[in-house]
Amino acid sequence: MQSKRWMMMLAMGLVCVAAVSGCKKKTAGSGSDGGIGGVTGADLNGSGLGGRPDLNATEMAGQFVPVYFDYDSAQVKESERAKVEAVAEHIKKASGVGVIVEGHCDERGSREYNLSLGERRAQGVRAYLMTLGVDAARIQTKSMGKEKPVALGHDEESWAKNRRAEFVLFK
Amino acid sequence: MGKFWRDGRGHRPRLQKESSACSAAVAGFVEAGSNTPPRRQIGFFQGLEKGVGGFSKAWKIALVLLLAVLPASAQVRVVKGGSAKATIDWSRLVAGGAATEFKRVLEDDLIHSGWFTPAAPGGAEFSLVGSAQESGALNATIQFASVTQRQWLLSKQYTAEGGAARRLAHKVADEILAAIGRKGMFSGRIVMIGTRSGAKELYVSDMDGGNLSQITSDHNICLGPHWAPDGNRITYTAFLKRYPDVYLIDLASRSRRVVASYPGMNSGGAVSPDGGMVALILSKEGYQALYVRALGGGVPMRLTDGSRAALASPCWSPDGSHIVYVSDQASTAHPQLYMISRSGGAPRRLTSRGSQNVAPCWGANGLIAYASLQGRFQICVMDPNTLDSKMITPGDADYEDPSWASDGRHIVCSRTAGYRSRIYLLDTLGDPPVALSEVSGDWYSPSVTAK
Repeated sequence: MQSKRWMMMLAMGLVCVAAVSGCKKKTAGSGSDGGIGGVTGADLNGSGLGGRPDLNATEMAGQFVPVYFDYDSAQVKESERAKVEAVAEHIKKASGVGVIVEGHCDERGSREYNLSLGERRAQGVRAYLMTLGVDAARIQTKSMGKEKPVALGHDEESWAKNRRAEFVLFK
Repeated sequence: MGKFWRDGRGHRPRLQKESSACSAAVAGFVEAGSNTPPRRQIGFFQGLEKGVGGFSKAWKIALVLLLAVLPASAQVRVVKGGSAKATIDWSRLVAGGAATEFKRVLEDDLIHSGWFTPAAPGGAEFSLVGSAQESGALNATIQFASVTQRQWLLSKQYTAEGGAARRLAHKVADEILAAIGRKGMFSGRIVMIGTRSGAKELYVSDMDGGNLSQITSDHNICLGPHWAPDGNRITYTAFLKRYPDVYLIDLASRSRRVVASYPGMNSGGAVSPDGGMVALILSKEGYQALYVRALGGGVPMRLTDGSRAALASPCWSPDGSHIVYVSDQASTAHPQLYMISRSGGAPRRLTSRGSQNVAPCWGANGLIAYASLQGRFQICVMDPNTLDSKMITPGDADYEDPSWASDGRHIVCSRTAGYRSRIYLLDTLGDPPVALSEVSGDWYSPSVTAK
């Protein structure tokens, strides 16, 4: 089982390298908009964001449990996967419903980098939702960086609560 | 460039005390103006050499050895020795009434410039004589002279509207500095984020922290304000439509327009030195990348390859040919500085020391200031040609978000201690950090414009 996964990862890695090197001339400074979709791993897999939900769309927060992350990591941990799977199940069943994955960080480090790290966390969750079969166009990412902590302490207990991705459904 | 960290052999600043009479003020000095030989602008490198050049190599080595054996408390005192300064006598600069603010701001500027220290009449190398009165308008007469060279360097009358005393003082300070061949910074301004109102809003102040005015009243999250090179407009990231978008705000009219509002994250918002382009970090394709686009609109051109990295904080080189930015592509835990051509190609990694290197600011002097996590965040200055870098903060707090002042010598940054953030002025020549904000609330993410 374990070795199978490693083989998969290795194969994916090779595909990435081949695709990136093959694309390089085209991408670097070509002036083209748009990405090199489908070449650098699962979370980059043909996955441009759809349009943002309308500002008047109904948003429902708090229906699902946040996913928590390790310090300075955007990896969806094994222990957190069931939370994402529950969201995937719900969205796949409900028609016309999309999800905003909202990434957050703890208070440490540069504000601008944390905004990007929060986005990476949202992107990591989005990638996992996509592997579970959720249509990429129905998943928005949003980062609040370290600007919206849920716990205000200056210790690991608070930080761990703040390193999270929240799910907001929209219709 | 490579000369930056070398032992300078530049000539020693004029520190010799002349006992010759300057009590007779500046009478008999040659009037400046066209008789004054053109003064070479002394850039940062020469300036630095000039500043530290007084120390011989042997002395420096001795200093290093001394530091190695001294207890920590003593080290601080030695390091805080500060830069070489010329003495100035301003005892005959008189101001009455509302004009006292002019005098106070001017004197503070000259001290903060790092090139002067006040001295009593009789021993000073420079003399600043003049008067300032305010009656409706502010009228000031300024005569600045080199006592040692027996020469007028500046003799001028100034008028400013009432209430403009501070701005006029900054202008005079910069002209006095120009008269001794130094570039001033006091005509510049700082944009920063402040929490005084309870929400995060943009504020603009003078270079000394005075003249603080609130720019936004959005009751929203805002990040990373940066000046457009014209000094009239500011880009920043805000969540006005629930997502992080980049806005451009015009200071005079306070009008605001969207620069980038693509799906996902929009940040960066660094306007190119020619004012035509904007560098952005976007995630519209499902991954983060660095883009450039015409500031007015159009299709963003992606410069970096797709990768599973977090990218942030783009900043243009002074000639607009390159962009330095933050990426954690090597390891998620460790954002580092990278540099890429404005037309794309392979990025070059610039930093390796420190577990995080963030918030680059590429100065007009060619040097990149950035925050490096070495226990705490400290401000470092790097020569991107040699990758030599030097820490310029004392390690007693977290120093972040550096922005070069226009004199090429000082850096404005935020300093956080005890979970309180304030704006500080740092000196790359060794004078101790100076607090610029005394107002309650947190103050951070400063960015400096020369105008």
